[in-house]
Amino acid sequence: MNKLLNIAHAVPRQFVRDYAFKSDLKIKWVRPEKISCIKPEKSGDLGKLPPLNPNELLPDYKDSKELANANETVKSMFLLRNNPNNLTTRYYRDLMIKEVQRHAQDYGSMEAKLARMTALIRRFQSHMEVHPRDKMIKVRLKEMIDKRKKFLKYLRRWDYRRFEWILEKLDLVYKPPPTKFHWITRKESLQKLTDIYCEKIKDERLEAYHKELQEQQIPFLEDAIKKMIFIRQEQIDCDVPVTVTEEQIEEARQQLAQLQELREAAAAATRKQSDETFH
Amino acid sequence: MASRGLLLLGQCMPCIKQNASKIRVRRMELDTNLNMYFKKDTFFFAHDPEKVCKTGDVVLIRELPERLTRLITHKVEKVVYPLGDITDPISGKKVVVGKYREDIEMANQLFGKSEKAFDYDKAPPRGRLEGTKDFTHGETYIKYHEDGKDQPFAV
Repeated sequence: MNKLLNIAHAVPRQFVRDYAFKSDLKIKWVRPEKISCIKPEKSGDLGKLPPLNPNELLPDYKDSKELANANETVKSMFLLRNNPNNLTTRYYRDLMIKEVQRHAQDYGSMEAKLARMTALIRRFQSHMEVHPRDKMIKVRLKEMIDKRKKFLKYLRRWDYRRFEWILEKLDLVYKPPPTKFHWITRKESLQKLTDIYCEKIKDERLEAYHKELQEQQIPFLEDAIKKMIFIRQEQIDCDVPVTVTEEQIEEARQQLAQLQELREAAAAATRKQSDETFH
Repeated sequence: MASRGLLLLGQCMPCIKQNASKIRVRRMELDTNLNMYFKKDTFFFAHDPEKVCKTGDVVLIRELPERLTRLITHKVEKVVYPLGDITDPISGKKVVVGKYREDIEMANQLFGKSEKAFDYDKAPPRGRLEGTKDFTHGETYIKYHEDGKDQPFAV
């Protein structure tokens, strides 16, 4: 930019922009890394499923008296970890639904549905970490994440407090979708960063100017009071109509006192803050 | 023009301006070529220092006698329908989608309400998760730059 301005100053004719215009501002753009949509940071899952107790029995045989008296070999056959994976998924699903359901028979309310989906999503996510090329699960997982997001959107519209409660209960984050989709390009990103940079400079300069003016306030008022007193005295001495009243001078003095008080308070606050950061 | 004190009904949108809310008034506009109506949004900034309206609320705004700033031309009169907390205007009961809340509650009682289930009496008012889990109070954007800082509204 500066280079261009120099050229423009040197050549007083109309400045024509070159084809590939490049800004010489030192702005570094880093393209954000793409996060897969099935990853927890993208799907909004903050929590994880609790680790499986190694001695957890199959839910159907939990209360069996025969199993309690059986020998170790038989018992191990009824352990959850020695059984198909889908039974563990079901176990987690029921665990999560029980946390939020309205009554013991409720599996169809929005909370129960969301809990069910969340359990499955987290289960699938841990599966995808071990088997990253499992496309069938990947598709199901993505579809389920999208559906859960849609259901959260509905629940928010229907019943806001229940929506907040379920977010807290299932440990989810809800971010509304952006209004417009666009691909991330270098040009557009650099434009945005340049805008931010310019805004920052503008704010900084305004702030500096504000400070400068503030510093002038006290000397100005002191000077004004002196001059007002002098003018008043002269007018009285020379027997011309008096235009400066006592009230005006008093008002200016009050203003000055207020200002000084304010400045001292601000200075004390900053001193205290700097002391705290130093220690 | 401004002395009319015109009342408008609109929906509150996420807004970063302080002391103001962005209100969307949606009208239908006739396209004479197609002879069809299309949605047309007009945005107004309403003075709202206490932030009474939150994103999604349906609010009444009134035109100010003269504009407060370059943007703010209205003030928030009343929140008519808070989002997700609808009262049926005829019976005065709270509604969730197609059912009264008390009907749902009665069904839960009949089935034996669970201890852990959601309870309206215990639930705090809306807005406690803003900025931690619920990011609907601001506009989200597609992340375009990695600056090492946390960008809560980046998707």
